[in-house]
Amino acid sequence: MAAVDFLPESFYADFLSDAAKARQPSPIRSLLPLEATPGLISLLAGKPNPTTFPFTSFSFTARAPPSEDGENVEGKEVELKLSGDDLAAALQYGPTAGLPPLVKWLMELQSQVHGRGSGESWALSVGSGSQDLLDKAFIALLNPGDPVLVQSPVYAGVIPLFHSLHCEQIEIDTDADGISSASLRAVLESWPAGKAKPRVLYTIPYGGNPTGATATLARRREVLSLAREHNLLIMEDDPYFYLFYGTHSLRPPSYFEMEHSDPSSAGHPVGRVLRFDSISKIISAGMRIGFVTGPAPLVRAMNMHTATANLQPAGLTQAVAHALLASWGIDGFLRHTRGVSAFYRAKRDVFEEALRRHLTGLIEWTAPESGLFFWFKMLIPGEEGQEADSASVVRTKAFEKGVLALPGTAFLPNGRRTAYVRASFSLLSPEEVEEAVKRLRDTILEVRAESAAA
Amino acid sequence: MSTTTTLDIVPFLSQQSQLWKACGIRGLFPLEKIPGMISLLAGRPNPSTFPFESLTMKLKPDLAGMPSSTVEGEDPFTITMDGDDLNEALQYGMTAGVVRFISWMENFQTHVHKRVADGSWSVTVGSGSQDLMHKACVALVDEDDSVMLETPVYPGTLGFMAALPGTLIEVNADTQGLNPTHLESVLTNWESTHPGKRFPKLLYTIPSGSNPTGTSIPEARKIEVLKLAKKYNFLILEDDAYAFLYYGPEGQQARSYFALEGEINGEIGRVVRFDSFSKVLSSGMRLGFMTAPPALASVVNMITSNTNLQPATLTQIMAYNILSRWGPDGFLAHCKGVAATYRARRDAFEGVARKHLEGLAEWTTPVAGMFLYIKLLVDEDTDSAALISGKAVEKGVLAVPGAAFMPLGGKTPYVRVSFSLIEEGPADEACRRLAEVVREAREEKAT
Repeated sequence: MAAVDFLPESFYADFLSDAAKARQPSPIRSLLPLEATPGLISLLAGKPNPTTFPFTSFSFTARAPPSEDGENVEGKEVELKLSGDDLAAALQYGPTAGLPPLVKWLMELQSQVHGRGSGESWALSVGSGSQDLLDKAFIALLNPGDPVLVQSPVYAGVIPLFHSLHCEQIEIDTDADGISSASLRAVLESWPAGKAKPRVLYTIPYGGNPTGATATLARRREVLSLAREHNLLIMEDDPYFYLFYGTHSLRPPSYFEMEHSDPSSAGHPVGRVLRFDSISKIISAGMRIGFVTGPAPLVRAMNMHTATANLQPAGLTQAVAHALLASWGIDGFLRHTRGVSAFYRAKRDVFEEALRRHLTGLIEWTAPESGLFFWFKMLIPGEEGQEADSASVVRTKAFEKGVLALPGTAFLPNGRRTAYVRASFSLLSPEEVEEAVKRLRDTILEVRAESAAA
Repeated sequence: MSTTTTLDIVPFLSQQSQLWKACGIRGLFPLEKIPGMISLLAGRPNPSTFPFESLTMKLKPDLAGMPSSTVEGEDPFTITMDGDDLNEALQYGMTAGVVRFISWMENFQTHVHKRVADGSWSVTVGSGSQDLMHKACVALVDEDDSVMLETPVYPGTLGFMAALPGTLIEVNADTQGLNPTHLESVLTNWESTHPGKRFPKLLYTIPSGSNPTGTSIPEARKIEVLKLAKKYNFLILEDDAYAFLYYGPEGQQARSYFALEGEINGEIGRVVRFDSFSKVLSSGMRLGFMTAPPALASVVNMITSNTNLQPATLTQIMAYNILSRWGPDGFLAHCKGVAATYRARRDAFEGVARKHLEGLAEWTTPVAGMFLYIKLLVDEDTDSAALISGKAVEKGVLAVPGAAFMPLGGKTPYVRVSFSLIEEGPADEACRRLAEVVREAREEKAT
């Protein structure tokens, strides 16, 4: 197999923001390597003494992952305990980039799942949720006022971050097959000469929050090709990667994998993808654990920011997560995620069945293969030939009828009205789904009737 | 009798704070609570997919401040979370923190600082107090602002201050902490030293067991500082991470700026207070809280909702479960025990330090915290940074050079040592080596 080339560290100097380049390491940090000197006594660290912390142990029980054929193993539990040195490490200040055993486990996961060997120019850091890492990545890569390529509609949580950096959000269209490479090509090829070109593409390839669309293999190839042609970095935000409702053997690989192993990547140096994972939708949202994987200079820049902003992700939650993951092993973890996928697929099916029964002809939608959302277009007339405004319907009629859904305008970087709505199927029981969808039907019928009467 | 006025903090908020807007989703959440409403809003994961079934914390059997039994008759030193309690801990939570945890801390603040819950302050939980201080400064500091830092200063604060707009102004500390005389001279001379520049907006200070100096500012000085704050209209950011590690004379701990401001100035809302559980519960749990005027808390919460969403629900509920078992007095009893541990360590370290460094170095004995700030007595021009990276490393001892704590850099003869972790044998050897460093440096200067 041909040797793979990696983009050199110097390549990233052009991509790092002024803020990232200006960050100085703390003077204490630069002394830390000296602590390894044999016989040296260090009085550097200002850490508290862990014998004063009130805990002797944490123990917890967790479900064993389902068996190979997907059966839940009833009554089987794992029992895990954190005590002694492991507990002390979890309760004490720890490394900025994450608890070492957890970092190691996650790196092995990335190797196995995305086919990227460890030690191949990529690094991994744990963050306080992938949101924390996204925020830091934007600050590391974007100068105030920079343009950024954003698939649209987009996860509402990144819009205020771009806004706080005064970034120009350049919307790239999406459709049922995910991000539109044609739209991306058009934007890049028609970019005005003399205007600083965008260098970062933010995309949510699985479940495309809010649209539910998962980018196909063909689209991913085209996006990678354009990234190489136009010298882009790809920020792959993948919190729903492990929630897949299609056939697993046919699922498209990540950008992080494809830039290395896809046939279309042969001969091209690797290192354009900065990948964001999260445990929030598969293990726990309240533990606040996410991880970033990608070119070492970018991950380092983010670590330097963490070192001053919030120091590190929490040691205790990382230790709990690690204990669970280590006991499961990677295979057990993957079986668990398939179990979670099956759970949400069933909920998706219940929701879609209700849409079919009550809203056929009143809305348009495409079934999601990943994620927790349906994205549907209300088939209602707009004012004076404009697109309809789902926001006013949601806030008035739907609300009055006792159903809340998210107006699609919340997901459009530059505002503007839309007839689309995002609905989550993750929490409702089948009875609640039935009732919610009926209320939506009543809402839309009323809107249409009023408009016809007008 | 004059009534206490409340300072309006809104004029202090930065331009940057206006940039932080709610993402389109949050505004609808309150509507979910309406009876009968079915919500399709949030992409919250389903708790039945969380694999944890129960979580048990075992506490130390000799832990101070614990009740002898719980209401349910269980062992008070074992706390188990399961069912709905655990599901809540594993799920997304509120931006500002878990409500009952916040209530506990609000009650605690009233208990300790005697501040009535009158709406002039609110508590926000953060992923460590560092997280909150950083965000508070984003909310307050503009390009043309000046920030006064008690100097020497905790490098973690310097780290985020350096990345923020604004100018850093050093205000000197001495053996009794922040020096109000120097503070006053900075302010009275401001117009000539900084012509055309806005008056400093805030003062950042670590009043108890300061990092790095170890000093604790006495109450009389705090009163002077408060009066200057009102006269020159600046805010006080009180970083009290070591407040719970006071081991000075019983009953003589200075009251906080937060406690004093109403009494001294007839005015409240000028002090923003930061507390941390890092030195008494766990540094790895990343839990701290800010007590601040609601208008400032609101901006900090807006930043959180966009950047790291919320402090971890799991650690908050774990902390709440132990704190609620303790109650405020039980928690304070525990803190006293922790402080006593640090006092014993201080005594042991000072013993070996005096043995080797008498005449070669000097320092002030701290009444709180975990640091000694040691002045190496080579000559009037001692450069501790050079000594550390040179002779000290050669002789096999490392301490933090004082330059690390100076906002504007510069040469200093000081080094910071911590006595929190080091055992007596290595401490003795470390001081012996440090003494050699000073002796040798003196000899070289003499020749």
